Amino acid sequence: MKMTIRNKLIAGFSGVLVLMGVVAANASVAFLALRHSAHEATTVGGRLNSTALEIQVHNLEAQRRIKNYLDQVGSLGAEKAGEMYLGEARFEIHEIRTLAAKASAIAPDPGKRAKFEKISQALSDYEKAVDAAVSAASAGRSTAAAIADCETAAESLHEFAEDGEVAGREASQASEDDIKRVSDRALVIASVVSLFGLILGMVMSALLTRAILTPVNHLREVADNVSMGNLAIEVQRHSSDEIGDLADSFGRMLTAVKFFRMEAEYAQQDAIAALEGKQ
Amino acid sequence: MSLYETVVNTGKPYLGPAAESFIARQCKSHLKIDPAALSRPHLKELAKWMEIGGGLIMDSAKAAEMAKKILALS
Repeated sequence: MKMTIRNKLIAGFSGVLVLMGVVAANASVAFLALRHSAHEATTVGGRLNSTALEIQVHNLEAQRRIKNYLDQVGSLGAEKAGEMYLGEARFEIHEIRTLAAKASAIAPDPGKRAKFEKISQALSDYEKAVDAAVSAASAGRSTAAAIADCETAAESLHEFAEDGEVAGREASQASEDDIKRVSDRALVIASVVSLFGLILGMVMSALLTRAILTPVNHLREVADNVSMGNLAIEVQRHSSDEIGDLADSFGRMLTAVKFFRMEAEYAQQDAIAALEGKQ
Repeated sequence: MSLYETVVNTGKPYLGPAAESFIARQCKSHLKIDPAALSRPHLKELAKWMEIGGGLIMDSAKAAEMAKKILALS
């Protein structure tokens, strides 16, 4: 391909466009990755964390209601106390089970999923302990051992819920780390590509300017000389582009001017010689 | 197209509007012939004088290149 000025400009602009495309592609990939990580951080991590907190609240509520039931079953009777406290306690336990299942489903990795599955297991133990305590209370037996079992199971459930809360925080932290890593990497790539583009653009601008200005300056110098009567100057072709073609045309014109001037001088000499011969 | 016209066309990229006059002058002054009478046997001599005469009004490398093209017509 002939390196005309048009082709040089096209090559230069194409290079700039390619670099802009690389920067845009990098930015798009980074944007999508960041959006994904941000979604993970705000949705998954946040939901796990809040679910674990909700489980703890429901656990406390369940404990409080069961304690009330056991305290008042003697005075109110099993049916009345059950209506007032036990039904709601079982509802709280049901809520904990539902929340633990939801958290297990959205947990981002098996380790975190296992923590929420342990909550479900602890909840089963807690239910058994509650059932045992309720049976003892209904039968009028001593509930001290059953209450102690309930408290132990509730404490165990509370600890697993705290583990779940930590897992949620870890998930958020991992996503935040992802965001930082992806944004840092995108920043480095964008900076390197932009710097490379800047240097390339400066080099290309300098080369293009020199490629155009050098032959143009030479032609201007030749034209100045010819206009002042100096026909001895040589026209040089500096490039194979449009300016090179212009230099060729100018050189051809200069050659013709030189020849016609020589012809005129010869004709003048011949005329003078003829005039002198006549005299 | 006569040989003279072909030679003029060959010289035009180098001599421009002076090609015809320049070649006619070489024919008359050095080959001692009328330009219209130019024939292939004359081309070697014409090329030699075009290189010498051309060297006076243009770059000698270009004059040699022009002479080479004239010689290639023979």
